[in-house]
Amino acid sequence: MALAFRLQKSPMPGFGLGMGITLAMLSLIVILPVGALLARGISYGPEAVWATINTPRVWAALYLSFRLAFLAALVNLVFGTLLAWVLARYDFPGRRLVDALVDLPFALPTAVAGIALTALYAPNGVFGSIVRDLGGKVAYTQWGILIALIFVGLPFVTRTVQPVIAEIEQEVEEASATLGAGRFHTLRRVILPMLLPAALTGFALSLARAVGEYGSVIFIAGNLPMKTEIAPLLIVIKLEEFDYDGAAAIGIAMLLISFAMLLAINLIQIWSRRRIGHV
Amino acid sequence: MHIEIDEIAKSFGSTTALHPVSLAIPSGALVALLGPSGSGKTTLLRILGGLEFPTSGRVLFDGQDATGLTVQERRAGFVFQSYALFRHMTVFENIAYGLRARPRRSRPNRAEIGRRVTRLLDLIQLPQIGGRFPSQLSGGQRQRVALARALAIEPRMLLLDEPFGALDARVRKELRQGLREIHDSTGLTTVFVTHDQDEAMELADLVVVMSMGRIEQVGRPQDIRARPATPFVREFIDA
Amino acid sequence: MFDSTLHAAASEKPAKWRPVAEESRPVRVLLIALALGGLAVLVVAPLAVVFAEALARGAGQALASLTRPEATSAIRLTLIVAAISVPVNAVFGIAAAWTITKFDFRGKAFLITLIDLPFSISPVVAGLALVLLFGTNSLIGGWLVASGFPIIFALPGIVLASIFVTFPFVARELIPVMIEQGRAEEEAALTLGASGWRTFLTVTLPNIKWALLYGVLLCNARAMGEFGAVAVVSGKIRGQTATMPITIEMLYNEYLSVAAFSLAAVLAALGLLTLALKTVLEWRHADQLAATRRH
Repeated sequence: MALAFRLQKSPMPGFGLGMGITLAMLSLIVILPVGALLARGISYGPEAVWATINTPRVWAALYLSFRLAFLAALVNLVFGTLLAWVLARYDFPGRRLVDALVDLPFALPTAVAGIALTALYAPNGVFGSIVRDLGGKVAYTQWGILIALIFVGLPFVTRTVQPVIAEIEQEVEEASATLGAGRFHTLRRVILPMLLPAALTGFALSLARAVGEYGSVIFIAGNLPMKTEIAPLLIVIKLEEFDYDGAAAIGIAMLLISFAMLLAINLIQIWSRRRIGHV
Repeated sequence: MHIEIDEIAKSFGSTTALHPVSLAIPSGALVALLGPSGSGKTTLLRILGGLEFPTSGRVLFDGQDATGLTVQERRAGFVFQSYALFRHMTVFENIAYGLRARPRRSRPNRAEIGRRVTRLLDLIQLPQIGGRFPSQLSGGQRQRVALARALAIEPRMLLLDEPFGALDARVRKELRQGLREIHDSTGLTTVFVTHDQDEAMELADLVVVMSMGRIEQVGRPQDIRARPATPFVREFIDA
Repeated sequence: MFDSTLHAAASEKPAKWRPVAEESRPVRVLLIALALGGLAVLVVAPLAVVFAEALARGAGQALASLTRPEATSAIRLTLIVAAISVPVNAVFGIAAAWTITKFDFRGKAFLITLIDLPFSISPVVAGLALVLLFGTNSLIGGWLVASGFPIIFALPGIVLASIFVTFPFVARELIPVMIEQGRAEEEAALTLGASGWRTFLTVTLPNIKWALLYGVLLCNARAMGEFGAVAVVSGKIRGQTATMPITIEMLYNEYLSVAAFSLAAVLAALGLLTLALKTVLEWRHADQLAATRRH
């Protein structure tokens, strides 16, 4: 590893110390534990790992986590872009307060969000009772999970898109108008395509966060096997049964999903850099 | 097209960008709005293009009141100082933009759009670059693409804001000639804004010298040089 | 040339005419209403409910529940965890940002990807990985337990989990700021005879202090509130390894609603304080943080 990070000559001091601390921490906190997880999978054997994953209950949980995370990220893509536009372009009383509030899902601990959402959407809660009167149910169903995942992923799209909106030159929008385009045409053909790379990055971040989310979901989910059981909960259950191999197998599956999404984010950024010259 | 500016004034809040100014631009002329920054020349150009609404006064195109026309209705080919090319579109898509933005019944078909874009790329002498993105072009190429994009909508006039401002001296000379040629071949009434008196004097048929939101003098380059009307004009063209 | 007979009839601005790069007023109002309405339902309502539920039986009950032994021990443990993991992360963040921005070396992009990795790993998977590395049935873990220094189901495990989930926070804030500031000032200090440490303390640190504070704030909020990773490694031993979020879960599952929401309200208040400080930093030191927000 030291070879991989070989330095080019520099008069600046502190490379050894800085790189030393960085690699030591990285190894202790990230590389060794993740390595231990992968090693467990190898010692357990690829067939056994596959056999653990390839059960209806695990598939149901992985599918549920991914499907709801995707839907939540999609909602956040639309609503987050709208929010970014309103915050970047319009002036209204309390705009700064609203701007600060967007980050609340980052600042509020997930367990707190979890019990708060459950209290709100439980059949006797403020929103839950309205839905109950309309004959529906949110908490302890997939709808509840969806709402929790929308909550935790909300800031990502807004925070990636907002600076891009602020950087759009007014002349570009004016140019579109002088060429005869109406405002809606300008929004659709000029502005949205310019926001797309940032919005997709935010979407992928929101998706990655939602797939692995645990704290805000388990309270509202109901946790019924095959119905409202998310993948991270299966890991916790396996650990409580001291089935470390089984937990490792599901953990590896989730790790691979994370890596795939990380790759997707990087590809989006490379693609947009190549097309537009910058991210 | 004949343009008539009738007692146009513009203020932004408490600052006055333009005192009432009047000006007639004959059809087919190549006119320079010349002045230092803050003289109101860009504001006047933007009012002509429909990007700003005047505080008072009227604009007439061929004798018709055009003050209330929206920017889309004016059909003025506008070239921005930064060029404002759409960076997520290829050069071809940039030039075709105005044609594709038309309502369906007046929109040319695909083949026709292709023909027109090709003709414009030939006109700006860059026939090969249709597939490139703006980030892959030089400054001079971007300026010419912006010009072609403005011409694509078959504009009634051509308005250019510091069209050579962002270019180095050699390219600037070359493109001045290019603008003159395009003006002569299209016959469009053309107004451009500049702070460079050489550029104005060399290129324009008619020079409008502006300062502090007022028109100081209007005349042919040689007349302004021979008989500056005010001390400001004398100083500015000597500089 | 001027036709002075044409009198300037002050043109009325027609209704259809509006600033070019703007939406019409009804559209603006509609979009603002949608944004505010959505935010109220999604974000403000849950926040309000935390405080409403905590105060459901009066402030006295809420305060009393915070002085129960399991609450006080949870608060103490959470403060200890934050007091260890946040400084550790700050030191790591500074070291990583210094290494990445002041030097050119092969594999830099890969190093940054590794640092960002914890963001995309589920906290539960992170906890699992730590259990597999340091748990009693692993090689290292067995030896550590035998030597009387258990990591899993003990404080060190909770600290490691907290560091894992907050790992990129400080480095992420510092790297863009330090890239923007370049190396010239440090190089100047070195040519003037300053030592490496002196250069760092008198030149670099003052330039990055607000970004550092910003990163530390976010890191602290997350460290105090982490649930998933800590739930896996802590063993949830009441009075010993139950942090505030874990205790909230326990109380909630025992239907002690006021106690659970009171503790939650403390964390929510901390979250609000973090947001307030963060907002103040963004106003006051926008220049330094500008680089951060663009990334």
